[in-house]
Amino acid sequence: MKGFSHFMSGVAVASFGPWAIEAARNGNPLFFILGGACGILPDTIDFKFYRFFYKHDVYVEPDPQAPDPQYVADEVARTIALAVDEKRYIRLKLSSIRLGADFWQQYAVTFDNDKLEVAVKFGPVVNTGQVPVEGTENRYPTVARAKIKAKVIQTYDAALKVDIFDGPTIGFNPLPNGDLDLEFLPWHREWSHSLTVGAILGVLVGAVAWLASGWAMAWQCFVTIAACYGVHVVEDQLGHMGSNIFYPITKLRTPGLHWMHSGDGLPNFLTVWISCLLIFWNLYRGQPNMTYHFTFLHLMMVGLVVPGLAFGALRWLLNRGQRVEVAAGDDADDEWNESKAAG
Amino acid sequence: MSPFWIVLLSVSAGTVLSSVLACLPGLHVYNVMGAMVLGILALEETAFAIPSDVFLPAMTGMIVGWAMLNTIPAVLLGTPDESAMFTVLPGQKYLMAGRGFEGTMITAVGGLAGAFFLVCVVAPCAPRYLPVSQQVLKGHMHWVLWIIITFMLMSEWPKGGNRGVAGWAKFYDAWKTLLAGLATFFLAGMLGFILLTRSPVSHEVAFQNIMPAFVGLFAIPWCLLNMISAADVPKQKPAKSLAINGDVILRSVWSGGLGGGIAAYFPIVTGGVGGMLAGHATAQRDERIFIMGQGVSKFIYYVGAFMLLFVPGLNLTRGGGAWMIKALYTPAGKTDYYMILGSIAVASAISYLMMEPLTRVVLRFIDRYNYRHVSTVALAIIIVMVVAVTGWTGLFIALVGTGIGLLPVLFGSRRLNCLGILLLPIACNMSGFGEVITGWLGLT
Repeated sequence: MKGFSHFMSGVAVASFGPWAIEAARNGNPLFFILGGACGILPDTIDFKFYRFFYKHDVYVEPDPQAPDPQYVADEVARTIALAVDEKRYIRLKLSSIRLGADFWQQYAVTFDNDKLEVAVKFGPVVNTGQVPVEGTENRYPTVARAKIKAKVIQTYDAALKVDIFDGPTIGFNPLPNGDLDLEFLPWHREWSHSLTVGAILGVLVGAVAWLASGWAMAWQCFVTIAACYGVHVVEDQLGHMGSNIFYPITKLRTPGLHWMHSGDGLPNFLTVWISCLLIFWNLYRGQPNMTYHFTFLHLMMVGLVVPGLAFGALRWLLNRGQRVEVAAGDDADDEWNESKAAG
Repeated sequence: MSPFWIVLLSVSAGTVLSSVLACLPGLHVYNVMGAMVLGILALEETAFAIPSDVFLPAMTGMIVGWAMLNTIPAVLLGTPDESAMFTVLPGQKYLMAGRGFEGTMITAVGGLAGAFFLVCVVAPCAPRYLPVSQQVLKGHMHWVLWIIITFMLMSEWPKGGNRGVAGWAKFYDAWKTLLAGLATFFLAGMLGFILLTRSPVSHEVAFQNIMPAFVGLFAIPWCLLNMISAADVPKQKPAKSLAINGDVILRSVWSGGLGGGIAAYFPIVTGGVGGMLAGHATAQRDERIFIMGQGVSKFIYYVGAFMLLFVPGLNLTRGGGAWMIKALYTPAGKTDYYMILGSIAVASAISYLMMEPLTRVVLRFIDRYNYRHVSTVALAIIIVMVVAVTGWTGLFIALVGTGIGLLPVLFGSRRLNCLGILLLPIACNMSGFGEVITGWLGLT
């Protein structure tokens, strides 16, 4: 899911703690801040910290002065050969090519399993907004190719396109049949996306809170942090990529339920909106001397069901007889692009 | 003349005036409205006193016209006000592809959709549901600000650290942008504490005391950047179609309505924050939806906040426009509410119709002159406006703001961090420890 959806889910989970509402009414925003922060924290750990310390076996760093697609193709082929020959997991870093303050050389890497080739095509120069610079489209008309030693299996549609800011990491995992499983962003959703890490973090912060403010604050911090961190892991499990739920007990990601892609509009909006409604309900329950009264069902009808039906009906009316094309998403690619486009 | 014609003429005049003014970079509609309020107050109890039937629709029209047309300087001249900053990058993409006209018109369609949503969907429900939400959320506004600050700071991702082997050097390279972002936020926050506690701007222009800082933080750095690095703008092509349909509009309303609604309803949450939330909330992959959503968000932020003042039974004042009106007039029930809603509808139609000719005029100007020169002229206009409204002291504040506003430009961090100028001092004040900080700073 998108960062904002995780963040709002965290705040919503925090609002279930009566202590959070009580503290907020007394001017203390701590638990809501903790909730939101822990809701987004697993991705923050991956994208802001861990990836810069993640070791790679091969770094492909084309020379910006003389970018050469054949060099990239050869290096990718060499990496694959390394994984096949040494029968071990190999991590490859495809670096971006910065040509100037605001210009980047775009390139794409594709695998042709029928011909056992890797193909690298240099595209246009793009600016940081990913807009092609006119006249640069055909600067490198040829496609560089190199033979690869094994088939590369991509289980999802992540396009290996490199342009602005950071380039992706790819992991090649040898399979028993001799093929290689391609893993996109192997540093993502590894140990950080686990319920146990959330609980450990809760214990650590709880211990500090115990020293500073006593037992009540300690367990309240623990519950808030563990629950809000955990909701991120649970939400990511609804997608394709999954999470390493009980690290260090589990070593690999458990595949997700495939209900959605992390960049899909409707699930993200629904998550944010339902979180808002739950927060509202919890605040209502914690508010003394209310002159207005309503039930949870009433709130959901007015806030979710009726507007949702109206929206659905309107959308149906507007799209009748038309083919609505929605760009296909991919968990890893969506999150990677979000991290680059977040600004 | 019957009240109908008085209202219609007033709203039309206000809309046309602000539509033209919106094309001038650096000038905010609240600057003009502030001057008008001072004028109206001066004329009170004289033979030339201006009745509320005239100034209420006129000011409604001014806000609507501004909310719709301030896209033009943001997209075509690269001089956004804070609420329009998220339209600049995608808008300039369109401009550099020769599609500047299309970019502004898509945002305008978003504004019109926002008007429809506000008048036909929000307005009928508001008197029934907003007083309830106000009672529930009373006492909780402060932490909403804090979580917005938390999200703003946590959702900025590193842009460096792209090459080299893993380790601390790479980490530091990546974190330079984030540290610059944090520095921007806290420096802007300090400036905000100073301006909100002991503004050096004369009390006679009290409505404008934050204006030079905003201009310095947001508009001047864009102008400087354009002057230094702008590529030549290609010949602009008129668009035969905007390639949008009902579905695109609907999805824009859903994302922009949420972001703009939050910005309009919660105090100090500005249009820029609304734009950020609109972009994040719905994960839209379609750029047209993003741009149009920004149009919706901006419109709902300005006009929706103003409308809240008139919602019967709510008594909620949000946004500079509403605060100025409150100095002149206390809304009196449903009659005023319906008049304001009618004025919004009329003003939206007029300002949308004005969007096309005014966009063409500005595009002709850009086509004719070098874009660097256009940016230089825009900067000159901005400086003249600041000096005219707030004097040399205001210009000094704008320069300080520019220094802070250039940090994101130089380090590639997020410009939204400049909003620390309002978010940090107000959040501290609402949580009850603002005075401690102003005490540390020697301001109180």
